[in-house]
This record gives sequence, C-alpha cells and structure tokens, in this order.
Amino acid sequence: MENSKIISIEGLKKHFNMSGGKFTALNSIDLQITKGEFTGVVGPSGSGKTTLLNIIGSLDSPSEGKAIVLGQSIGELNVKQAAMLRRSKLGFIFQSYNLLPVYTVFENVEFPLLLLKLDDGERKKMVLESLEWLGLSDKIKSKPSQLSGGECQRVAIARAMVKRPEIVLADEPTANLDAANSHHILKTMLQLNNEFHTTFIFATHDDKVIGYLRRKISLVDGKVAKDEISNN
Amino acid sequence: MIVLSFSFLIIIWHKGLLDGWDRQAKNETINWETGGGQYWQANYDPYDPFSLTEAHAKIPSEFDAPLSKGDVTSILITQGTIYPRGRIQSVLIKGINSNQTLLKIPSSLFLKSNDELPVLIGRNTANDNGLKEGDLITIRWRDVHGTFDATNMKVTGIFDTDVPSVDMGQVWVPLDHLQKMMGMPDEATIIVRNKSKEANINIDGWKFNSSEALLKPITDMIKMKSVSGMVLYIILLSLAMLAIFDTQILSIFRRQREIGTYIALGMTKSQVVVLFTIEGALISVLAGLLAALYGIPLLAMQARNGMSIPGGSKGFGLAVADKIYPFYSLELVVMTIIVIMITTTIVSYLPSRKIAKMKPTEALRGKLQ
Repeated sequence: MENSKIISIEGLKKHFNMSGGKFTALNSIDLQITKGEFTGVVGPSGSGKTTLLNIIGSLDSPSEGKAIVLGQSIGELNVKQAAMLRRSKLGFIFQSYNLLPVYTVFENVEFPLLLLKLDDGERKKMVLESLEWLGLSDKIKSKPSQLSGGECQRVAIARAMVKRPEIVLADEPTANLDAANSHHILKTMLQLNNEFHTTFIFATHDDKVIGYLRRKISLVDGKVAKDEISNN
Repeated sequence: MIVLSFSFLIIIWHKGLLDGWDRQAKNETINWETGGGQYWQANYDPYDPFSLTEAHAKIPSEFDAPLSKGDVTSILITQGTIYPRGRIQSVLIKGINSNQTLLKIPSSLFLKSNDELPVLIGRNTANDNGLKEGDLITIRWRDVHGTFDATNMKVTGIFDTDVPSVDMGQVWVPLDHLQKMMGMPDEATIIVRNKSKEANINIDGWKFNSSEALLKPITDMIKMKSVSGMVLYIILLSLAMLAIFDTQILSIFRRQREIGTYIALGMTKSQVVVLFTIEGALISVLAGLLAALYGIPLLAMQARNGMSIPGGSKGFGLAVADKIYPFYSLELVVMTIIVIMITTTIVSYLPSRKIAKMKPTEALRGKLQ
C-alpha cells in the first residue's frame, strides 16, 4: 500500500451559513495524499486548514465535491459509519490535547482500544507499548492535571497512535508548547511515521512544524495556493 | 445527591411507618375483634344501633361443634345505658363466651370472678368514665319484650387494647348473663370464626363477612395516608430531580470539548448520550449508598424501638398502638430504589439529548451551542 492514494479530494467545497449569508471555507480543493506522507496543510487563521482536516477526519462533511478517505466517501457516510472510520482507522491530535481529565494516562490511552472491544491483555500490551514509545512509562498512573503541556501532548500522541491508525490528523499540535517540547513532539511523530508508515496530516501555521514537513499544502482563503514537496 | 439520599430515606421511612401501622392495626384488629371473619345475623348493621333490637337469632346448630372446640365464639350485642358519676352514658353491651380464647378480650376473668354480675371494660372507657376495677356501675337495658330493666354490675377487669372499636363506649359481660338479661336464650348477634383457612359455610339468616372485608376501613385509611404521603415524596423527588437536571445541563455545557473528543475517538453521538445518561443515573446509586450509610442505622433503630404515637390519636377510630413499629419489607426498599433510579435516569436523559444535536467540530472547540 506504500505510495498508494489513501485520500482523494476532488472539487471539495465547504460552505457555512452565517448570519450575514453563506461563508465558503473551502473552495474547489483537489488533493491526493498517499500512504506514509508527513504532510501539512499550512496557512493563516481562517484559511480553512481545520475545516479540511475535519472533513478528512469525518467530523464534518463536504458541501460539494468528493472527499474519499481510505476508500470511503465522507459525504456518503452515515453517523455510525463515520464513527467506525474514526474509531478504527483515524487518530486525532488536538492543539489543547483534549485528554479526558478524570482518567489516568493509562486510561486515556486505553480508551480508543475499549471502543474497538479488544480484550484486556491485548489492550494492556498495546497501551504500555504506546506509552513506552512516547517515554511515558513512568506516568501511567498520573492524571492529565499532574502533567506538563509537553507530557500531555505526548499522551495525546500515544492515544492517537495506540490503535496503529492509517492516518493521524494533528490540528496545531504545537500551538501550546514551547520550542523544546515542540521539537521533541515533532521528532517523535516523525519517528513514528518512519517506523509504522502512518500518514500524518497537520494543520498548522507554526514554522517549527513546517520545518519538519515533507509536503506542504498552502491554503489561502479556502483554496490550495501551493503544494510543495520539501527535501526533509 | 444529599437531597436525593434524603428522598430515599424519607420515602422508605414513611412507607415503612405506614406498612408497620397497617400490619399492627390489622393484626390487633384480627386478634381483638374480627378473628378470621364473622357471621352476622341478617339484621345486624354496625352503623345502625336501632337495628340491634332485631339483630339476634338462635345460634345455628352448625356451630355447635366449632363452639365446643373453640373454633368460633358467639357475641350478643345490645344497646344500654350506664350512669357513671351521675351522668348518662350510652353503651353497647356485648356478651361473649367466658371460656373463649379466639379473641383477646380477657373473658376468662369472668370465670375467675366471684361477682354475680361481672363486667369488663377497656382502658379508654374506664378513663373516660372515671371507672376502676371493683367499681359498681348501674346498667340499664331493654329486653326482648321491650321492657326496661336495670341492675348494678361490678367492674371485674379493665383491659388495655389498641383497638378502639372493642373499647370505646362498650361493656363486656358473660354471654349467658346477657342472654338471660335480654330474654334471648342461646341467641347471638355475631359469630366470630378463627383464622383457619376452612371455607365458610352458608347459613340461612346469617351473612358471612370475610376478614378482608372487615379490615377494609383500615386498608382504606392506610391507602389514604399513602396518597397524602405521595405529595411529600413528589416534592422531595422533584427537588432532587431538579438538582440532577441542572447538574446535567451544566455538565454538558461545560464538557463540550470532552464530548467532541469522545466523538473524534470514534463514539457515536448516541453512545455519548448513553454515557452521560448513565453518569447522571449513577448519582442516584451514590445517593442510595449515602442514604444507606446514615439511613440503615436510623431506620433499624426505629424499627427496633418503635415510634411513640401521641395519646390523642386514640380518637382516630382505628387501631393505633402507643408505639408503631415501622416495617421495611424488601419489596418496599427495592421498589423505592427502582422508582428513584428510573426517574433519575429519565431526568438525566432529557438534557443529554442535547448532545445529539451538537456539531462535533464545534464541540471540539468548546464553542457554545
């Protein structure tokens, strides 16, 4: 499946109804993403990065055009099918980590596996393995409130990676981190990308992230302005 | 949660108290008055004292054997007047077999007494008329021919009972004495049978009243009390449910980002609704545990020591003991828990439905919806 198309977007438009009329967040996007890419959708605030990521992540649906992710047309999925796609094939990393505050690190990372109904032993093994990749083995009993921002984001990465998803969608993952933590997180993600060939798609305007990307898709006013392959 | 735990306790306590009262009242009434049912002479109407002159008949021969075995006891009832402390007081004169043991009326005292005309009265009648053991009372009655007669009788015993209908305004005399006084040999007004499960027999001129029918006024009174108790439950439950409803609304409002995260991780909206509903319903489980923590010792102590009832309540007209011992059946506890849990689950579900209308992308941003 290496170099095979896992995301195919054609003529994608997304409109939002605003009080003053219709706002077009994405306008005629055409895009192909292949397996194993370390790609970023970059652009200023309001350019449509997060909207594009949400559609790829089946959290939202296109107004027009097609978005086919892992062979499934996002616009045609019902609620249950969309949930199944996210549950089994997609991982999410958010700017503000979105960890579940009452759960421990272990339980946060275990959560996606509970939804997949894996048995206890397998779950435990996968969670511990995931936490080990991220260097969090000594934090398994900690609650998110006891962790630093960098540690929280590593837990979020562990949670996104634990089920070995096909695609990880990261929306501004370094926005709340300092430079050292940002580099550490990005190196970790790059390493996971290399090791497991997981496709990473970022929405970012952070230069530190952009520096690590192998492909940079620039959005301006909802349109692809540039699509560059870098030498990383 | 505290209000809900309080609701649990009040409902169980109040229902337990009524159940305890119901049991005590019924048991005492059975033991003192109704037995396992009564045969009434066809003209007998306890609510019409004027019917008493006609409400008597020979004791049917079908009762000869049960009477000798003590399985039934016969009672002759007539109206009379006593003159305590120079006042006139209407009474019911009731004649009962001296050797009966079916009812708790201590008629055996007649046998022990050397008095020619012994009388038993209840404590309330004694108190109301200033009578004590050994007092002579003048009693006047009208015999079968309509002739008035009077005599002095001696208070042989005063009995304590929780059943006012065998005490208030009544004097008990030996059946054979009353039959002689009235000129009604071998006659009775009612025949009380024991609590055996034997089928009642049909006898011409006598009507059988089952124990359940005789206890109906008590059952109705308890039902009425239960209904009035419902108002209290509804107020308490409404307060608790309002608190849960508000907590759920606030929780959903504050935890939108978490809801978005659940959806992003692969849960459907309906699964998140179920999750939040269960979370809300768990409040009732915790409230139940809290209620158990402080409630079990309290309720157990009261079930053991009973609850004192004010003296004035004797005038209620039905059996009220000095102390009521609440009775907490498993059914009562389980039903209360089930009702509260179902109510809490519904109240938790109503605000949780809002989640189904949320846009996951907005929820993830914690944007108010």
